[in-house]
Amino acid sequence: MLIVSMEVARAFRVARALLLSILAIAAPLRGQMYEGRQLVKPELVADTNAIVPGKPFSVGLLLRMAPHWHTYWKFSGDAGLPTEIKWHLPPGWRAGEIQWPIPLKTNDPGDIETYGYENEVLLIQEITPPAKIDPPRDGFAVATNSPAILTAEAGWLVCEKICIPGSATLSLTLPRSTTNTAANTELFDRYRKLLPQNWPGENVATAKWSRGSGSDLRLQVNSAMLARYPATDFFPAPPANVLVGHPSVESRSGDEITFKIPLQSADKKLSSLPGLLVFASRPNADDRAAWRISGASEVASSRPPVATRGLLTFLFFGFIGGFILNLMPCVLPVISLKVFGFIKQAGQSRKKILRSGLAFTAGIFAWFIALALLLIALKLTGRDVTWGGFQFTNAYFVLGLSIIVLVFALNLFGVFEISLPQSVTSGLLSTAERKDDFGSFFQGLFATVLATPCTAPFLGTALGFAFTQSPAVILSMFVAVAAGMSAPYLLLSAQPAWLRFLPKPGPWMAHVKQFMGFLLLATLLFLLYVLGAQRGLDGAIWASCFLLVVAIACWMKGAFVLPTASASTRRTSLALMLLLVLASGLYFIGDKFRSAEIANVGSQLGGDWQPFTAERLQTEIDQGHAVFVDFTAAWCLTCKFNEKTVLETAPVRDAFQRHGIVKLKADWTSGDPAITKLLQQFGRPGVPLYVLYPGKSEEPIVFPELLTQRIVLDKIETIRLTVAFHNNP
Amino acid sequence: MKTKLLLTAVATFVAGAMYAADVPPVGTAAPDFSLTDSNGKAHSLSQYKGKYVVLEWFNPECPFVKKHYGSDNMQKLQQEYTSKGVVWLTIDSNAPGAEGNMTPEQAQKIMSSWKTHQTALLLDPESNVARSYGAKNTPDMIVINPEGKIVYEGAIDNKPTPNPNDIPSSTNYVKAALDESLAGKPVSNPTTKPYGCSVKYKSS
Repeated sequence: MLIVSMEVARAFRVARALLLSILAIAAPLRGQMYEGRQLVKPELVADTNAIVPGKPFSVGLLLRMAPHWHTYWKFSGDAGLPTEIKWHLPPGWRAGEIQWPIPLKTNDPGDIETYGYENEVLLIQEITPPAKIDPPRDGFAVATNSPAILTAEAGWLVCEKICIPGSATLSLTLPRSTTNTAANTELFDRYRKLLPQNWPGENVATAKWSRGSGSDLRLQVNSAMLARYPATDFFPAPPANVLVGHPSVESRSGDEITFKIPLQSADKKLSSLPGLLVFASRPNADDRAAWRISGASEVASSRPPVATRGLLTFLFFGFIGGFILNLMPCVLPVISLKVFGFIKQAGQSRKKILRSGLAFTAGIFAWFIALALLLIALKLTGRDVTWGGFQFTNAYFVLGLSIIVLVFALNLFGVFEISLPQSVTSGLLSTAERKDDFGSFFQGLFATVLATPCTAPFLGTALGFAFTQSPAVILSMFVAVAAGMSAPYLLLSAQPAWLRFLPKPGPWMAHVKQFMGFLLLATLLFLLYVLGAQRGLDGAIWASCFLLVVAIACWMKGAFVLPTASASTRRTSLALMLLLVLASGLYFIGDKFRSAEIANVGSQLGGDWQPFTAERLQTEIDQGHAVFVDFTAAWCLTCKFNEKTVLETAPVRDAFQRHGIVKLKADWTSGDPAITKLLQQFGRPGVPLYVLYPGKSEEPIVFPELLTQRIVLDKIETIRLTVAFHNNP
Repeated sequence: MKTKLLLTAVATFVAGAMYAADVPPVGTAAPDFSLTDSNGKAHSLSQYKGKYVVLEWFNPECPFVKKHYGSDNMQKLQQEYTSKGVVWLTIDSNAPGAEGNMTPEQAQKIMSSWKTHQTALLLDPESNVARSYGAKNTPDMIVINPEGKIVYEGAIDNKPTPNPNDIPSSTNYVKAALDESLAGKPVSNPTTKPYGCSVKYKSS
């Protein structure tokens, strides 16, 4: 229709445009005037009337476009460029990432699909002033009580039929004050309503990614709420190296909508894509809303098996990890006992040594297999399970362990001798040899129970892998760990000749035995510390009271329940012991310990750490902050070590502060399920875990389990570089 | 259930085929075409069989095109590779009435004032060639080998901006693809996301 008039004006227009373009080559067009019209009117607006030191506020870049002209979203589609904003802020001030409203999708002749905004758009960013505003600096003049001037360089590409880049240096002047009130509320509200939401809970919507045989990705969304909307779409926000075609709704049936996203990239491993799930009454309607889909996190449950490393590699890691468990401080006392046993056996028959070694190994295997079966059972019932989580986050498990450790220590001190009840001994263990075997089996079992909190680095990886796999894989992984842990003993038992490298038996052994008892008491102290972290000081004290009674019972056993004592004395003592333990158990544990207040984790936060919640993390990321999350637990010695030697040291603390990184502490001492879920997303079976979220569109950086100052400082520097690059047009 | 599966399969196949037709992927045969250049001379792709051919989508008014011509970057590339026997075809697929559409005279004028060095500047006012290659941007770059197969398609470089100051620090994908091909090596980066203005197709 317009073609005719355009044809007429064409010769003139093209000639003038050519002239303009030739001029533009010499000096790129700076302003946004084009053929006498203003294409874009840029402006900075704030949602507040004054700046309060330390209090974040929002500033928006308001672009008003001439009718039918548009600027672009963060992913512009087949053509165009995203708008860029570069702030000139002095150190201490932080600008968050751009909060992009849900864009419009337009399709131009030639099937050119773009994502952008027409007529007007407000790109909001959160600005956080420091708690103490510095004297004037470059581009940001703040004298005492003088107004603050915020300066930003904005760059955009504005297109209708043609495209013209524009840029402007903009500033906004705001007074400083101790209080402030909201400003431009209507404008900010209108655009905040257009911001995408986080993915809702599983009860509202579930998403599943799959990769077809060809070059298509499929996103299957199941949601009754979404199904009510006539217009649903997927807006991709692919990383720079990924080429996507035009997503489309492939099928809709009932509550299920399937999107097809054609890929042109060569990356065959790509299994998901970040983007927006947009829904509205009709395409591009003003009532449009969207859920953010980040690719992997919403689909943690359907995460595909790790393809890069084979099962065998992981089994090998499991084996190595199991072997390393022997060297863990929490296992050492028990292991020493075993070595001790070997010393005693040195002179004995080869057969006997082998038997005892095998029994010890059987104890290790029994525990691991039982653990694997329990995990599989829990997994099948859909519970969140993690290594050590369901053990050490449970106060009663820790309490039980404390009792075992104490009884064992008293036994080493010689307070009493372990003798099994008559019925068991007569049936199962009729000979002395069998009795020894049972002892070895128990030692193996015990060593392994103590080893569980010590996830050696290898073991962490291997078990993290196992938890996402089938029951058979979980079981074989645990068997591999058990094999690794028992390997040295099996070897020693099978080759008793090597035992001669160990020292000769003698009276010194009694001393070593007693000394090991003290090591176990040290372990007990650690366990009580964990109990204290879980149940508070009261809880730890009540538990200690019960432990004292147990110790008295043990002493009674050693003092009165002797083979030389009369039957009635033995009976009375046993009954008294039982009564003591039961009564005190009921009182101290069943009543007092149970009702001991759950320790307030928040009160333990030191310095500038903030308590972690999933919402808090999301908010900070949304506001464009870099966030460091320390996944820790009171019973995790590695965590404590890292905190003391790295995270809480002056250089690291300063670096975090200087770069404005928000520090969140995720305390897993009592097994917070939200933290468990996040740990699983990172494929970790337990703590420690250290993650740095550099920003909204950046992949989180995962640190190794054992930190050094260098590692942390280096990573902080790299992310700041990336962010700086992104702010640079 | 079975019907649904079958339908999905058919839908998938058809959709897949449509997309495949949309952008011929790297490794497939480059669609043949015949167009006249600014001097009225006809050029077809098949006549250049046995030579490397570069296709460059063009729009003299597009800021992204101007970035590479204003800085002399494109002219240098054209000169370097045409001197090595590469055929360089610049194509204007913008529809009449739309930005960037040129008459033969306007094309000649641009070529002389911008001191370009391509083999020929072809006029595609019906946007047919752009359609058959799925070209959506200016500049959109395609490299075709002597066997007539596409070995590279995508952007000219890795800095999607209209700013000529970004050129010195950018990696030129077309140069890399040509250098590797001419040295008998496979192209290490055969597909990239093109950037620029949209090709102004004729509205249908």
